[in-house]
Amino acid sequence: MIDKIFLNMTRTSALLILFIVAWIFVVLFNESTEAMQAFGLDFITKDEWAPNLDKFGAYAAIFGSVASTFLAMLLAIPIAIGVAIFLSEIAHDKIKGFFGVSVELLAAIPSVIYGMWGLFFFVPILRDIFGGMGIGLLAAGIVLAIMILPFMAAVTRDAMNTTPDILKESAYALGGTQWDVIKDVIIPYAKAGIIGSLILALGRAIGETMAVTFVMGNVHHTPNSIMDPTTSIPVTLANEFTEADSSLYFSSLFGLALTLLIMSFVVIAIAKFYFLRKVRKA
Amino acid sequence: MTAVQKRILINKLALGFSTFSAVIALGFLFWILGVLMMKGIDALNWNIFIYEGSPPGYEDSGLKHALIGQLILVGLATLIGVPLGIMAGTYLSEYGKNSKLAHTIRDISDIMMSAPSIVIGAFVYAIIVMPMGHFSAWAGAIALAIIMIPIILRTTDDMLQLVPGTLREAAFALGAPKYKVIIDVVYRGAKAGILTGVLLGVARVAGETAPLLFTSFNDNFFTTDLNAAMPSLTVTMFNYAISPYDDWQQLGWAAAFILSMFILGLNIVGRLILLAGKRK
Amino acid sequence: MASIIDIKEECALQVRNFDFTYKGAPAPSLKKVTMPIAKHAVTALIGPSGCGKTTLLRAFNRMHDLYPGNKYEGEIEFEGRNILDPKEDLIHLRTKIGMIFQKPTAFPMSIFDNVAYGMRLQGIKNKTELNDRVEKALQDAALWKEVSDRLKNDANGLSGGQQQRLCIARAIAVEPEVLLFDEPTSALDPISTQGIEKLVIELKERVSIIIVTHNMQQAARVSDYTGFMYLGDLIELGHTEELFVTPKEKLTQEYITGKFG
Ligand SMILES: Nc1ncnc2c1ncn2[C@@H]1O[C@H](COP(=O)(O)OP(=O)(O)O)[C@@H](O)[C@H]1O
Ligand SMILES: [Mg+2]
Repeated sequence: MIDKIFLNMTRTSALLILFIVAWIFVVLFNESTEAMQAFGLDFITKDEWAPNLDKFGAYAAIFGSVASTFLAMLLAIPIAIGVAIFLSEIAHDKIKGFFGVSVELLAAIPSVIYGMWGLFFFVPILRDIFGGMGIGLLAAGIVLAIMILPFMAAVTRDAMNTTPDILKESAYALGGTQWDVIKDVIIPYAKAGIIGSLILALGRAIGETMAVTFVMGNVHHTPNSIMDPTTSIPVTLANEFTEADSSLYFSSLFGLALTLLIMSFVVIAIAKFYFLRKVRKA
Repeated sequence: MTAVQKRILINKLALGFSTFSAVIALGFLFWILGVLMMKGIDALNWNIFIYEGSPPGYEDSGLKHALIGQLILVGLATLIGVPLGIMAGTYLSEYGKNSKLAHTIRDISDIMMSAPSIVIGAFVYAIIVMPMGHFSAWAGAIALAIIMIPIILRTTDDMLQLVPGTLREAAFALGAPKYKVIIDVVYRGAKAGILTGVLLGVARVAGETAPLLFTSFNDNFFTTDLNAAMPSLTVTMFNYAISPYDDWQQLGWAAAFILSMFILGLNIVGRLILLAGKRK
Repeated sequence: MASIIDIKEECALQVRNFDFTYKGAPAPSLKKVTMPIAKHAVTALIGPSGCGKTTLLRAFNRMHDLYPGNKYEGEIEFEGRNILDPKEDLIHLRTKIGMIFQKPTAFPMSIFDNVAYGMRLQGIKNKTELNDRVEKALQDAALWKEVSDRLKNDANGLSGGQQQRLCIARAIAVEPEVLLFDEPTSALDPISTQGIEKLVIELKERVSIIIVTHNMQQAARVSDYTGFMYLGDLIELGHTEELFVTPKEKLTQEYITGKFG
């Protein structure tokens, strides 16, 4: 009797998660139909975003999301792999422990703080170097890169650490140097795990709001250079959601949210089902 | 240069690059941490805990409203998210096991864990704020709970699976019904792990700003009304930081500092509990 | 009190008064070990678990250096020099003294690339030379027939026994003087074990072999000399038949008759 109730309670809770996910998609889809009907494909291909004219083309925001994430990955990946190599292969035990924990704790710092640092401390430097406002695609890419770096380095290190010691020792026993072992044994061995982790970090970057809201500019304009201010999907949502004054405006914002959700679902699903699944089997 | 000498040189360069990138990365990260410390401690004083928000330029302005609001929001989210997450994790580990349904739920939940949090905010706006016609603490707490559930679910599932099957069998052999075995034996065995999962889950949502922006919104004054907009440290920090006023920006850094210490504290305690549990 | 036989023939290695202490360990794991290793012969190391067999074996190619803080004292002579000298060129040493591990350690690459790995490290790029030497090594490791038609396949698709022979092929491809085996058959089935044992006996024509084993029958089958270790001491080193039939030390006697271990 109680057994049955307990089973039902736990099962309902578990099913709830499926239900919520489905519900999120349904709600976002419903809320965005008005915009979809009004603009069709233009919604994602046009970059005219003019609330006063009730015209909404999300191209600039989508482009900004993709471009800032791409830039962040470009900057973060080599450094994160370097840090991971340092933490798993080079540093001595004490340093390893200290920096390892620091990196993990830094991954827990609220992203809004990275944004504040970017706005007050980093943007002025960019302004001094490149002129202009400092705010824009480059600033967003760099702040995003720094924000995902701890997570990326920690998971890449964890993936590298799965390489069995005797596999590494076998390569040393043939006269390999540390770098030979890293590039010929550790990286190939941990490849699926590393790529999966990097894509997971990409998923985080693409959905990140607070680290970039301050430094991107919120201008619906496809940038001509990386120094131009622009916007991204999360930045647009954060800035405009509470200001929307027409139902088409709202619907367009929900359309953005749906687009972002689909983008991140696809990215994360690729990481999980393609790369990380392989790891689990191995 | 012989092939071996060349390899030794490349080795030095590559390891040098790795060490260099570690220095760069940690340099940036400690720069950010340093800024947070300096700015935060600088802005810290007793007034912050005594006074609520006030227009820029006033002496007696503080963060009491946001601190309490943050605690209410996170507390409420914990009350909703933790039981649901633990029960769902229990189902996966104890009943669903390797069934197709259980795996589907695990996969979807994992994907949810990385879903953009601002989208969750938009969703809660549509299902709660719009029908109710106003922002509310409930909406914010529910948004945070939705983010928290997959985290708790995952750790509970993992931690329960670590409890050895023989322990369950021993309890069953004594004639205990399944729910009693789970509550008395399995939960007890996984106590430290589940607690750590809860702490990390709480720490994770405590730092969230985006899902609160249009659910609990913000308020410059102290309130305990769960049916009205409620201030939080994160949103307050966001609003103060983009304001042009020096004293508001100061308060923003103070909020950032307090919140970060809270989150780091939870993370450290969580790790220590897990370590202590492993030692035993 | 240890009974160490005097080896008349030429020696591949000479261990003298060798102490080894792991990082942070209160006491040395090897104490004043003195041990000649005969050239072109198989020397087996036996003894109860934890007595220091692996520790000694890994000193010969300075594997312990991968983990900082370990301490060597005494001397191991190889090709006329003390290889415990801090200035010893470890890359060179390890190409001269190869190692096979407890479990097969195929690298995540093709069969061909696995065998060619050590040669490539030495800078051999010539295609024909690589091809010839890979084939020769695989033949010597009795694996050629089984894999000649799928050299480009991932090495991890091979069976455990095949992978272990692949590791042997990889080690002999660089033409070492000494091969170290650390319980090479502990993860293998009896048939594969037989194959590896046969190989060990064949290989001693060209290399000197030291093999650690927990299996006394294996030591008896493959080795010319056997050393019995106990709690970090080398208790006895003798001709294999003599050591098993007429051990000189009481401890050896007790161990081989199964009184402990
Ligand atoms: N990495 C290590 N650090 C500290 N002590 C070790 C380490 N590896 C082995 N030991 C100790 O050294 C002794 C010898 O171990 P080992 O050489 O592995 O024994 P065997 O191979 O004969 O079973 C044991 O007491 C073991 O506990
Ligand atoms: Mg051993």
